Amino acid sequence: MSNDIININDLKSNSSFNDESNCEKVSEPPSLRIVPPLNFCPVERHLYRSGQPSTINHSFLKELNLKSIIWLAIEDPQDNFLKFIDDNNIKFFYNLGFNSIDNNSWDGLSENSIKQSLEVIVDTRNYPLLVCCGMGRHRTGTIIGCLRKLQGWNLSSVSEEYRRFTGSRGGRILVELLIEAFDVGTISMDPQFAPDWLTKSTK
Amino acid sequence: MYSQGDQLIRQLRIYDSTAGELEQYEEPQDEFTSLKILDRCPEFVPPINFAIVEDGIYRSGHPQAFNFPYLQKLNLKTIIYLGDKTDNYDYYRWLRDQGIDFHYLNMQSCVEPFMFKDDSVIQQALKLIVHKENYPMLIHSNKGKHRVGVLVGIMRKLLQGWCISGIFDEYGRFAGGKGEGDVEYIETFKTDLLIDKNTKPEFVRVG
Repeated sequence: MSNDIININDLKSNSSFNDESNCEKVSEPPSLRIVPPLNFCPVERHLYRSGQPSTINHSFLKELNLKSIIWLAIEDPQDNFLKFIDDNNIKFFYNLGFNSIDNNSWDGLSENSIKQSLEVIVDTRNYPLLVCCGMGRHRTGTIIGCLRKLQGWNLSSVSEEYRRFTGSRGGRILVELLIEAFDVGTISMDPQFAPDWLTKSTK
Repeated sequence: MYSQGDQLIRQLRIYDSTAGELEQYEEPQDEFTSLKILDRCPEFVPPINFAIVEDGIYRSGHPQAFNFPYLQKLNLKTIIYLGDKTDNYDYYRWLRDQGIDFHYLNMQSCVEPFMFKDDSVIQQALKLIVHKENYPMLIHSNKGKHRVGVLVGIMRKLLQGWCISGIFDEYGRFAGGKGEGDVEYIETFKTDLLIDKNTKPEFVRVG
């Protein structure tokens, strides 16, 4: 029974299409263009990642209706970004788990930073949420990688996603080691506020 | 204070019982609990080049049997395949069993130079995308690089009004460089969209 051959053209679809009589005809893209921040990408519903946005990205960010932003770099963000956060009443999470002035920007994130960031991410009361660092490569990549691990993803897919954002110089083995070694069992979350895509995948 | 690389290497060596002399270093403040890796079998394997494009719309390469558990979590209603392979029978059986609306839109590989792309394929895909009752939706090609990248690029331009440089950046991130003629195609593609306010997805901007 289950060994019957299905050909690609035998597959059916009942998809619906717009009723032309109710439609507006649109021939041009919206006249006001929006500019995504460097390395911008949606991660899950209402969860986004990027590098540090600059003024030209503000109209793009407004479309996202952000409620919170996680800033992972050690350096302070630019003033115009802080002003945007202030003007739009966005909750700003920074210095998560940084406990030493000796932290260097080229060091990876500490386990404590990863844990604190993930605990912000697993709480939908903070959504829509943007996770960002200076370039949106390694620090953001570490957090998103650990999140994928928490979702139960296999490591090669996690690494593929991380490397997609690292640019021509490629991924850092240290970041991948951090993700591989991170124990997702240390993350505590309130199931009442956890995102659907997480609760469904962690059983 | 050690760099983090040193810390990790040090941790690894502590597990190696012959490295007793390393104990003389002071304890770093931020101790990793362990590099003993819990070797759990991953629960899910997403298809290659998988990503979320917008709420309820996903992109990827060709799904394989080991991707089915992950795809099942997405509760897909519609799948659009842009490509020309017709012999993945396990996949077709799975699609039938799941009752997913499947659209096979024949699109040749764009890697060949001077290959003409068929506008009607993109138009057909856009018609499905502007109607939110078809969501959640997956669009895939074989590798999730070029063909899907063209469709997503056109969607970013026409439906969301992204600037062209942002579109090229996203295209390149998945394609790993510039495809033959793909970005030019995204830039010059024009069509008339029929958009119904009541069924348009939230991310679509008009005007």
